[in-house]
Amino acid sequence: MAVSRRGLELAFLVLAGAVSTMAYVSVYAGRFREIDRRSILYGLVFVAIFLALHLLVRRRLPQADPTVLPLVALLCAIGLTEIFRIRPALALLQGQWLIVGAALFALTVLVVRDHARLDRYRYLIGVTGLLLLLAPMVFGTTVNGARLWLRVAGMSIQPAEFAKLALVVFLAGYLDDRKVLLSVPTRHVLMVPVPAGRYFAPVAAMAALALAMLVLMRDFGTALLFMAIFVALLYMATNRLAYVLAGGGLFVAVAAAAVRLVPHVHERFAIWLDPWSRADTSGYQLLQSLFTIADGGLAGAGFGRGFLLYSARRPVVPDLQTDFIFAAVANEAGLLGAAGLLLLYLLLVWRGFSIALQAPDGFSKLLAAGLSAALGLQAFIIVGGVTRLIPLTGITLPFVSYGGSSITANFVLVALLLMVSHRTAVLREGDAAARLRLAGEG
Amino acid sequence: MNRAITRVFLVGVALFVALLANLSWIMVARAGWYRERPENRRAIAQELKIPRGRLLGFDGSVIAGRERRSGFYRRTYPQGPLAPQFIGYDSVQYGRSGVEAALNDVLTGQSGSAGAQGLLDRLLGRRPEGADVRLTLVPAVQKAAQQALAGRKGAVVVLDPRTGALIAAASAPGYDPARLEDAWPRLSRDPAAPLLDRCTQGLYVPGSAFKVVTAAAALESGKVTPQTRFVDTGTYVVFGGKVTNYGGAVYGPHDFTTALTLSVNTTFARVGDTLGRRRLVEAMRRFGFYEVPPLPLPAGEVMASGRYRDGRLLSPDAYFDRLAVAWLACGQERLLATPLQMALVAAAVANDGRVMRPYFVQEVRTPAGKVTQTARPAAWRRAMSPATAQTLNVMMQRVVNAGTGTAAALQGVPVAGKTGTAERGDGTNLAWFIAFAPADDPRVALAVVLEDTMATGGEVAAPVAAAVMREALRQPALP
Repeated sequence: MAVSRRGLELAFLVLAGAVSTMAYVSVYAGRFREIDRRSILYGLVFVAIFLALHLLVRRRLPQADPTVLPLVALLCAIGLTEIFRIRPALALLQGQWLIVGAALFALTVLVVRDHARLDRYRYLIGVTGLLLLLAPMVFGTTVNGARLWLRVAGMSIQPAEFAKLALVVFLAGYLDDRKVLLSVPTRHVLMVPVPAGRYFAPVAAMAALALAMLVLMRDFGTALLFMAIFVALLYMATNRLAYVLAGGGLFVAVAAAAVRLVPHVHERFAIWLDPWSRADTSGYQLLQSLFTIADGGLAGAGFGRGFLLYSARRPVVPDLQTDFIFAAVANEAGLLGAAGLLLLYLLLVWRGFSIALQAPDGFSKLLAAGLSAALGLQAFIIVGGVTRLIPLTGITLPFVSYGGSSITANFVLVALLLMVSHRTAVLREGDAAARLRLAGEG
Repeated sequence: MNRAITRVFLVGVALFVALLANLSWIMVARAGWYRERPENRRAIAQELKIPRGRLLGFDGSVIAGRERRSGFYRRTYPQGPLAPQFIGYDSVQYGRSGVEAALNDVLTGQSGSAGAQGLLDRLLGRRPEGADVRLTLVPAVQKAAQQALAGRKGAVVVLDPRTGALIAAASAPGYDPARLEDAWPRLSRDPAAPLLDRCTQGLYVPGSAFKVVTAAAALESGKVTPQTRFVDTGTYVVFGGKVTNYGGAVYGPHDFTTALTLSVNTTFARVGDTLGRRRLVEAMRRFGFYEVPPLPLPAGEVMASGRYRDGRLLSPDAYFDRLAVAWLACGQERLLATPLQMALVAAAVANDGRVMRPYFVQEVRTPAGKVTQTARPAAWRRAMSPATAQTLNVMMQRVVNAGTGTAAALQGVPVAGKTGTAERGDGTNLAWFIAFAPADDPRVALAVVLEDTMATGGEVAAPVAAAVMREALRQPALP
C-alpha cells in the first residue's frame, strides 16, 4: 500500500513536471524565440526540489495522500512560469523562495514529526501568531495604503501569512477542547438553540481583532480571511449555526463601520462599486485587471504570447506578478486555463477536507479542515477581488503569486496537511509496529 | 463534526462555482463589451508594439518614420512637419486621424494577416509588421506649397489631372506632429484651427473661381460661345434684386471670353439666369459638387461642396429664386466649396472634361519587399465634353495671359487659371486661384485659397499658385 501511494505521487509529479515544462518552454520560446541551456537548468532545479520533497515524504510520511504534493508542484510551476514571463529576474528569486519553502517543509516534517505535538504548545503558538499579526501594525511599513509588511534585514516579510498558520493550530486545539462546552445550548432564540452568552466571548474577541486589523492594518482581505477561518473552525467544532450567524453578522457590522471610518477601506469599497468613474486614478488597477482578463477569451493567446507588458518593468496591471497574477494567467491561458487553475485549488482543498474527514481525532480534523479552508479562502478572496466579485484586497494567490512569505508559509501548511494524512492512514490501516512507533514518539 | 466539515467544504465549492461563473461572464459573455470600453486602451497600446509601416513620399523619402522606445514604436518626422493635417496622427491619448487612420490596418500589418497565413503567423507567435506606404505626395512640391503659405491662413491642393493623384495638400497654420500630444490642449483651442485640414474640410465661398463651372455649363448648353457678345452696364437686375461687379466696375460691350478673363459678374449672372437653376446645379454635380469626393480618408474628414444653410448641405433639388441663381453663377449665395473640390474643377478642364478619382496611395510594400497594392487611376465622372474642355482651356489661358491672373504666368509654360475674390462682411477677402499647367499638356492642377487678406485672388493667390506650379513642373516625375 505504501509503495503504491508514493508510486502514484511520483507518477503525478512526473505528469505535473511534464505539463510545467511545456508551459515554461512556451514562455521561453514566446519571449526569446529559442530554447537555451539556462532554461533547461531552471526546469531541472524545479524538478529537483519536488523530487527531494517526494523522497522525504517517501521516507517520513509514506502513508500520506499522494495527490497533494503534485498539485502544489503544478501551482508552483504555473506561478514560476508566469513570473518568469512577466519579469525573468524575479523568477530566479522566486525559485530561491521555493527552495526556502521546501526547506521549511522538510524542517516541519523532521522537527515536528507528529502534528499532535503541536497541541502541547497551543498557547505559545497562539500568542506568537497574535504577535506576528500585530507586529506590522506597530512596526510595519505601508504598501498600497495597507500596513501588512515588516522590513527585516532588507527583506519585506508579511507576518500575516505565518500568523494564519499559528491561528489555525491554536484554534484547532482550543476549540477541540471546548467544543462540548461551546455547543451545549442553554436557551432558544426564535426556535434556534443558542449557547449561553458567555460562550460568545471568543467570537467577540475575534471580531475585535478583525476590527483592529481593519483599522490598524487598513486591510479588508486579511481581516476577512481571519474572521472566516475562525467562524468556519468554530462551526466545524460545535456544529452550531448560531456562531456562523453571530460571526458573520458581527463581521458585516465591523466592516460596515470600517468602510465609513477608515478612508483606505472606504476607497477600496467605492472602487468595487464603481471603478469606471475612477478609471484613471484609484480604479485603474482593477479596470486594467478586468480588461486583461477579458482579453484572454476562451483559450488565451498561450503562455508567453499575451499582451502583459508595456515595457520590461511596466506590466499592463500594476503588481501583476503578485496580487494580480491570476489576471496574467487568465489572459494567456484563457478561460479554460483560468478555470483549470481554480480547479487545481478546488482539488487541493478537496484533498485537505478528505484528510480532515478521515482523521481519527478532533484536533487533527479541525487542523486539516482549518488549513484547507485557509488555503481555499485565500485563493477565493484574491481571485474574487481581481475579477470584481468582491472588493479587491491585496493578498497573494497561494503558491502562484510572487512573494517569499506566502510561498514558505504555504509549504509549511502543506507539510502539516500531509502529516495529518499520514498519521490517519497509519492509525487506520498501518501495521502494529508503525502504530507503536507513533505512540512512542507521540 | 464530519457533517459540519462536509458542509463547510460544500460552501467552499459554492464559492468556487461563483468564481467560475463570474469568470465565464467576464471572459466570454462580456469580453467584447470590455474590449469596446473607452477606458480600455489595450488595443491601441498593443498596436504601438507593432513596427508601424512608414509613410513615404512619391520620391521614396520618409515623411513619417518610426523609432522604437522602450518597446513601443513612435513616429518620427525626418523632413519636419510635412502635410501634418493630411498625414494625421496616431495617438493613444487622442486617437487617429488622416492617412494614419485611413491606412491603419495596412500600417499595422493587419489587413494581410487574415486567413491561413495569419493563423500560421499566430501559431508561430510571429508579430505582425506594418507595411510601408508610398504616397503620391511629392515632398518638394508640398514644401513649396507650405513655404508659400507660411505666415498666412489658407490651403493649397495640387493634383495630377491625368490620374487624380494628390501631389500636395498644404493647410496653414500647421503644427509640429512630433510634439502633437504636448501641444494638443493649445492646438485644439486655437481659433486659427491648426488641426483642421483646410484642403478637405475647409468650406469657403468660391467666388469667381466658380465661374469655370458656370462657363462649362453655358458652353455645354450651346446657348453661349466664347464669341457671344454681352454689354455690361455695371448691374444686372433680376427678381427684384441686382448683381454688381467687383469694385463697382463697368465693362461695356465684351465677349464671353473677356467676361471670364476680367471676371464680369453681371455677364455671368445673365448667363446663369439664362441657364436656370436646374441646369446650373446639374453642371455642378457633374464636377462632383453635392457629393463627398472619393478621397479615401476617414469618414467626416472630407467635406462635400455645394449650397449650405446653417452648416448643413442643402439638397441639390432645393428651390432657390432667380436672383439666387444669378449670384450662384458668380460663386456666391450660400455656395461653399473645399479647396480639394476647386482643384478637381481645374483638373476636369485640364483632363479633357474627365474628373479622375482622387487618391493618395501610390503603392503598399510589405516588410518582405512585396508590393501588394499599386495605384490604379480611374475616372470618377465626366464634367463636360472634350470640346468644351478645350474651349474653356483656351479661355482660362487668357485669364493668365491678359486678365486677372497674370501673376500666375510662368516663363515658357502656358498656364490656364481663374481668380476668385470673395468679400467677407468684416472687410477682409477670401482670395482664390485655380489653375493647371502646362495648358497644352497639363501635368498639374491646383487650387489656392487664402483667408483674411485685403487683396484679390489675382494679387495674392496667383503668385502662390505660380510658385507651387513652378516647383511641380521641375520634378523629374509626377504620379
